[in-house]
Amino acid sequence: MIRVCSQQITRSKWFIPGFCLFLGLVVFGASWIGGHPGAGAVSLALMAGFGLLILLAGRSETIRGLRGDGRDERFAQIDLRATAVAGLVLILALIAAWLTQIASGHTGRPYDWLLAVAGLAYIFAVAFFRWRG
Amino acid sequence: MKNKVRVLRTQRNLAQGQLADAMGVSRQTINSIENDRYTPSLPLAIALARYFGVAVEEMFDDQGL
Repeated sequence: MIRVCSQQITRSKWFIPGFCLFLGLVVFGASWIGGHPGAGAVSLALMAGFGLLILLAGRSETIRGLRGDGRDERFAQIDLRATAVAGLVLILALIAAWLTQIASGHTGRPYDWLLAVAGLAYIFAVAFFRWRG
Repeated sequence: MKNKVRVLRTQRNLAQGQLADAMGVSRQTINSIENDRYTPSLPLAIALARYFGVAVEEMFDDQGL
């Protein structure tokens, strides 16, 4: 039941635009607390603008897929591949940043533990999905 | 994977969108299947075969596997 409900929510065309707005508000709040409300307002405007673009540009299959309401099994496969590519790029960027830090005589923080989290998450995910069959 | 989806669909004068609606997928997914760019999942392959009243192996050519 929970899975069905969560799928219905994430497949609504309002989910991603709403999430963008929510994230923009969170960033704005954090920036306000941090003493940079102007930067927070810019972030909020950017996130809200992106959300609005996603909401209104529904003619594109890519946008509908990103938004959630145009997803089917093929797009789920595309999403999985795109997530893997994004994860790989992120890990490669972390490795590059970590090596740069070490070569500059620094400790490598926080890239070392971020890489450890990524590696452990991958190992646990492999073990979990193997166990699930 | 090569298949006869386009042939069977056009024989029944169906648009890609109509078949997509019947299968619960997007029109682009039907287009990708017809152009051998996407191999459908087993449930979708079975649903397509049932829809056209043929066996799955009649609809999809596994010679390339």
